[in-house]
Amino acid sequence: MDSAFITNLILASVRMATPLIFLSLAELYSQRAGLVHIGLEGLAAIGSLVGFLVSLITGSPLLGVLAGAAVGILVNMIYAYATINLCAEQIVYGMAINIFAPALAAFIYRVYFGAGSELVQVGLMTTLSALLGITSDNFLLRLLLEQTPMVYLAYGLVIFTAVYFNKTKSGLNYKAVGEYPKAAATLGISVVGVKYAASVICGALAGIGGAYLTTCYSTTYTDGNVAGRGFIALAAVIFGRWSAGGVLLACLFFGFCDALQIRLQVGSYGIPYQFFQMIPYIATVAVLTVIGMKKAGPKGVGKPYLREQR
Amino acid sequence: MKKIFALILTLAMVLSLTACGGGNSGSGGSGDGGATPPAGGSGDSKTYKVAMICDSSISDGGWGMACYNAMVDAAAKYGWDTEVSDSIAQSAYYESIVAFCDLGYDLIYAPGNQYTDAILQAAEEYPNIAFALLNGGADTPAKAANSNVTSLLPDSQQVGWIAGILAGLMTETGKVAFIGGMEIDTTKGKYAGFVESAEYVGQQEGKTVEALDVVYSGDFSASDKGIEFAKAMMDQGADVFFGDASAVDSGARQAIDEANAAAGSVKVYDIAQPGDFLGQNECIIGSQVTDNSGLVGLCMEAVENGTFGGETIFGTMQNGVLSCGKLSDLVPADVQEKYNSYISQVMDGTFMQ
Repeated sequence: MDSAFITNLILASVRMATPLIFLSLAELYSQRAGLVHIGLEGLAAIGSLVGFLVSLITGSPLLGVLAGAAVGILVNMIYAYATINLCAEQIVYGMAINIFAPALAAFIYRVYFGAGSELVQVGLMTTLSALLGITSDNFLLRLLLEQTPMVYLAYGLVIFTAVYFNKTKSGLNYKAVGEYPKAAATLGISVVGVKYAASVICGALAGIGGAYLTTCYSTTYTDGNVAGRGFIALAAVIFGRWSAGGVLLACLFFGFCDALQIRLQVGSYGIPYQFFQMIPYIATVAVLTVIGMKKAGPKGVGKPYLREQR
Repeated sequence: MKKIFALILTLAMVLSLTACGGGNSGSGGSGDGGATPPAGGSGDSKTYKVAMICDSSISDGGWGMACYNAMVDAAAKYGWDTEVSDSIAQSAYYESIVAFCDLGYDLIYAPGNQYTDAILQAAEEYPNIAFALLNGGADTPAKAANSNVTSLLPDSQQVGWIAGILAGLMTETGKVAFIGGMEIDTTKGKYAGFVESAEYVGQQEGKTVEALDVVYSGDFSASDKGIEFAKAMMDQGADVFFGDASAVDSGARQAIDEANAAAGSVKVYDIAQPGDFLGQNECIIGSQVTDNSGLVGLCMEAVENGTFGGETIFGTMQNGVLSCGKLSDLVPADVQEKYNSYISQVMDGTFMQ
């Protein structure tokens, strides 16, 4: 295991962690407003497809990302209306989104491209190093510059979220809705308004997370390309103790585990590959077993808010 | 009012899902649970129908696409109707097959060894429907209770040879790489053929060629894993790639193209399969082509003649099912000549003898 191995492993970890960061932040904003959302996989799937299509049509990955965010919001409004206005079971509607949105994405793809079309590829978002014309073998420069603007956005959002939830009055009000909505309502906070705002943010970030896959990572779209990231994001929020910094660490950890299993497979020399493929899952179970024992999440998460109820 | 809204939302979702399940919406059928005999006879004016199931996308630029196109080409030749259900999960293999059987399809076409169990189960329950299993085991038809299963078995060793010969000739670092989707017999056979031929050709050309250990992505749709595998393998010095992982291969090609672009010249290559994909990516220097349409066509012919089932149809270079695709200009003329010479040896059975 030489320095090149470690360098490339870290770079791969950052690449693989970025979509997870967007999805985990989406879950964090949702849960902080009391809405547990297990439908991120679906939102990311439709965001991925729409991001790909818009990027292909317009030639602009940035517009693809924006479209991914927009469709994420749109689809998430189904979940929002059902769970906020109709007080429906959040888990059930999250699952419904997980079934509905990927099927819709597959349907749109088939309608647009037809069956058996050729492999369609799009141009990816340019990295900062390419924009600046800087090429270097220096690890730190590569780590800092060989990234698309979306990576910087992801880390910027983590910082913003940490500050917003802990240092601003608006952020504390937001968290109050997730902790004890009735008390928040007595303080004049619009509980329904905050929950809708959370759903908009959640939908946008989940859509961006999906669109990242097809505008910044892979030049092609395939059904199932979200590959369980929506569920890993759920684990990352619990692992991260519902804090922005914790979520970032969790995502980097999961990204690292995935990158590690891939790189260990390549140099396994006789060790069964299944052993390495188990690493991310064993790590998830192990971490949740240790970290997830103490409940630290919002107290009102998963519970419907009935304004009239005492 | 709220209940009505909830009902409308639920209905909208259910209807959308029904619409999205278009892959199964064939053009009608007897709906008699497969009671229609597949044997038509020569004077039968019936329009036959074939349905394909696939766990990867048919737009994946690799396996799924090639297999789907094979079915469409064969159907066009024999005047059959086609339908497909792709990107299906393992848990839905059997249900998807049965759905087509219930719709009265005459032939179910499953391109992959992984569908064996589902096919055998459905074949037992629908004795009058024909089931064609591409890359099925040689002994699979014998396991079918009703002799209504046929294995189409391209010689995976020869598939590996076709790619391995080119890899052995083109590698400069002496390291070649193979990315698999799932650890199934045909993939293992292709890898074995790829490795032995690359090493043999390298030896003949006076260089040492070794293959990195095979890696498996675990599925056929994770193109991002293909990117990461290819990057990791290039870090290990691999400069010629071959794979059997559908969309994962597309991801690998993307990473190779990016590495070549960063280097300013094409120094890392990929060999595609099972169609001729030259030009799809800059790094593709050649393809191993499997004429699946010929194999599927043989099944259609057998269904029409009432002779389908109980056999394994092997596909080799000798019977024309396997062949080499066009070579890229990146392969120098003298190397192309050598390649053709080695392929001739495969054809006449003297390769590695």
